[in-house]
Parts: sequence; structure tokens; C-alpha cells
Amino acid sequence: MTAGEGTAAVRGAAERRPPREVAICRLDELPPGARREVDVGGRHAVCVFNVGGDLVALRNLCPHRGGKLTRGFVGPLVTGDAPGRFRYEREGEILHCPTHQWEFDLKTGCALHDPRLCAKTYRVSVRGDQVILHT
Amino acid sequence: MTPSAIATDSAVADPPAVTTARAAEDAPARARKVAPYVVDCDCHHVWRQIEDIFPYLPRRYVESIKDFGPMMPKYPYTNMRNNSGLAFRVDHAIESDTDLAEFTIENHVEAYGIDAVLLTGSSVYSAAGLPDQDYAAALCRAFNDYTLEHWAAKDPRLLMTIAVPVHDPRQAAVEIERLGSHPSAAAVMMPAGARSPFGNRFYDPIHAAAAEQGLPIVTHFGCEGQGPTNPPTAAGFPSYYLEMRMARPQIAQAHSASLICEGVFERYPTLQWLFVEVDTWWIPGLLWHFDADWKATREYTPWVKRLPSEYFRGHIRVGTQPLQLPERRQDAAAFLRWMHAGEVLVYASDYPHWDWDEPTPTAARFPKELREAVFGGNARELLNLG
Repeated sequence: MTAGEGTAAVRGAAERRPPREVAICRLDELPPGARREVDVGGRHAVCVFNVGGDLVALRNLCPHRGGKLTRGFVGPLVTGDAPGRFRYEREGEILHCPTHQWEFDLKTGCALHDPRLCAKTYRVSVRGDQVILHT
Repeated sequence: MTPSAIATDSAVADPPAVTTARAAEDAPARARKVAPYVVDCDCHHVWRQIEDIFPYLPRRYVESIKDFGPMMPKYPYTNMRNNSGLAFRVDHAIESDTDLAEFTIENHVEAYGIDAVLLTGSSVYSAAGLPDQDYAAALCRAFNDYTLEHWAAKDPRLLMTIAVPVHDPRQAAVEIERLGSHPSAAAVMMPAGARSPFGNRFYDPIHAAAAEQGLPIVTHFGCEGQGPTNPPTAAGFPSYYLEMRMARPQIAQAHSASLICEGVFERYPTLQWLFVEVDTWWIPGLLWHFDADWKATREYTPWVKRLPSEYFRGHIRVGTQPLQLPERRQDAAAFLRWMHAGEVLVYASDYPHWDWDEPTPTAARFPKELREAVFGGNARELLNLG
């Protein structure tokens, strides 16, 4: 999370409960490239990203060693077929965990090098002008 | 000095009497084969004296050797006391007229039922330290022709590594093309001493030629710090022989990391690389660290498309000698699993050097289920032995 972004605290969510919906913010407060850390009352926050217009949400817990994903660098997928050749694809779709810099696909929550290693994801929707997190 | 003392001295300085008796005594017993098909990936062969390669060397270099000596750089370290200055084990009697190839066949290949040995040279490694690249190329060519006529021609089990001027990759490629299809040619030799790590594109003509000929490239320690090559360690020159021996694994690690990070195995998906006499214990640690760091830094070298350990396991093989394993069998088994020994290791004896690993006791240190692969199967595949 970078300076200036807010945290929407959701109160009374400490105990286990059936799926619920949490209004996070207005959609115009979460433009493409932005992210927002949401305290849903559990042990770990949830981080909602606007990835080029698509809203995705990850538990703020790296499946590798528990890094806070929400603090990670987000950038493109860099590829290349020969030394010195770089291609930039999927701008803004790759999250680097800040703890060990492993790369995660924001669209799936899974590590690039191991599709079985995934952060927990949540559904996000838009209702009216509100962004809704489904936990 | 008393006459008796002189007599004692001459008796001591009478090696033929001693060595002849020993030769008869040491007639090798035939050892049981350690695997159904046994391959030794590091058997050294030498010229007795530089004149042995004169018939294959252009006049210019023959004349200059006569006038100035071979001018080949030498290791500034001791080795071990050995027989006849040819680095043969002291318990092997080499006479002035012993045919080294026949001696090797009888005392090593036959004695242990070895089905194929890779002749890895040794003195020729220093060619890579000769500033004159054309002389280096000529020397390698001549050594190869000598090897074919005086070693490989004597027994189909003797396989040649093609010596090349590593620091002149274009001429090296020409030599690989000249000999690559010879039935005795099984690999290309790039001794470890170098001006840059072996994945560097400077060496691309060698990578390409070896891949084209379907030959693996072999790196044996050698030539470090000689002529224009880099010192044996990045910290500088070791002072002593023992210290220098400890430098070998880091050189192999540097070349391995380079080959993978420079994308050599992406460019040449069929290319295989064999390291010999560089130890094996470093393999697990290197692969663990390499994979972990790749997961973090992948975007900076995106042409490295897979886990580094996958490239290593698929393309790099390592000779067993000098074998260091934990004493307890279960510890050794775990250690061998960590290094993917069933895929990666190939038996290497280092015959006839003092620190060689004899087939039978070496095999006994491996779990039974690994012996077929390590002592023959892996090398058979690597060297395309059918």
C-alpha cells in the first residue's frame, strides 16, 4: 500500500460467519492501478486491486512465507527469448511479494513458477458506484 | 663419503630392478564389473614427451619447440609424487618403453571390465593458456591426431575428447567439425581455466559446433591462472596444492551458473555438459539457492525460462571423482537424492592419478539402485554410446 490510500475497517467481523458482502469504497476511488487494503476483522487483511479495470482481491498473506502482498510491487510480465531481449506483457498484472520478491499473477493469485502456490482470492463486484468485497 | 654409502645410493637409484619386480607382482586381478555396462568419464592420457606429437604438428611449431621448448604454462603447484613424471600412480610401474595406451587398457579397462573410457588428456589443457592462438590450435589438432593414432586406434573402448583452443572459438569449431563424426570422438574438452565463464556468447561457435555434432562438452579443472586465463579463485592465487584443490568446485559452479543464466541450453536444447574432477557436494546447495533466487529475479533474465535446477538436471552431468559422501549410509543416500545423483552423476575414475577412485570400492558407497545409472547408464546416454 502506498501513502494516501485508505484502509476501510469493517467492524464486528472477528467471529466466523457465512459469506458476506462488504462495501469498500466508491469505484472512482479505486481506479486502474490502484489498490486498497481492507481490514475484514480476521487475522489477515484483504487487498483489492484494480488491474486494468478488473477488480481482484487477495488475502494479504503470501502463500510462500506470509509476506504482506499488499505492499508488493506491481508491474508487467517481463519475458524474453534471448539474452538482452526483453518484452513487456500484461502491464500491471504481476505482483511481487515484498518479502522474497516471488512473482504472483494478480488475476489468479498464483505464483508464476508454480500454479499450485496461490494466495487466497475473493470475489469483488460493483453495485451502483460501490465496490463490494465478497468474503 | 664411504664406498658403502655410494653403493647404497646406486642401489636406491636403480628403479628398473624395483619396478620390474613390482610390475609382475601387480599383474591386475580381474575385478567384478560394478554395473552391467561400465563407463569411466575421466581417464587421463598424455604424450610421453612433446616430440610424440611432432608428426602431426606444422613445421613452424616443431621448429619453435626445438628452439624454445613448448612454452606451455605450468601450474605453480606441487602434485603428488608419481611415476615417471607422467602422473601415473606410484604403484603403477611405467618403464621407459611402456606403451601407455596398452598399459591403461590392461591395468584399468580390462582389470575392471570397463566398457568405455573417456580419454580426457591433461597436459594439453594448458593450450588454453597460450597467448598465440594459432599455436594453441595447432597443438590441439596435433594432440587429437596423436590420440587417435596412438590411443583410440588401439581399442574401441578408448574414446576421445576433442581438444580445442578454447580461447579461439572459431578455430575450435573448425576442429570439432573436422573430428566430430569420427567414431572415436565422444566429446569436446574445455578445461576450466578461462577468460570468461563458459555460457558467455564469446564461446557460441563452440556451443553450436558441439550441438551440431551431437557431442557433449567436458570441463575438467585445468589451466586456471595460466597465460591469459583468470586465477583459480576470484580471491586470487592459492598458495599451495591443497588450497588449489579446494578451488575447483567454485570454478565449476561459476561455469554452471553461466551456462544456465546465459540461456545456452535454450539456444542449444540438445547440448549436454559434463564437469569432471570438480567435486559433487556443491550440487544440492547450488540448486537450492539457484532456484530460490530465480523465483525472485526471473524478470531480469527472462530467457531463463525454467527453474535453474531443471536445466542442470537436464543438461549438466558431473563426474563422481573425487567422491565425498557422508559416512552413514542413510546420510549418503539422502545426500545423493539431494544432488539428483541418479540423473546427474557419472562415474569418473581419474585414472591413473594418485587420487583416483577405483571402481569397486567407489560403487560400494552407492545404494544398489543407483549403480547402473551412475556407473554406466547416464554416461552411455551422455556420450551416445548406443
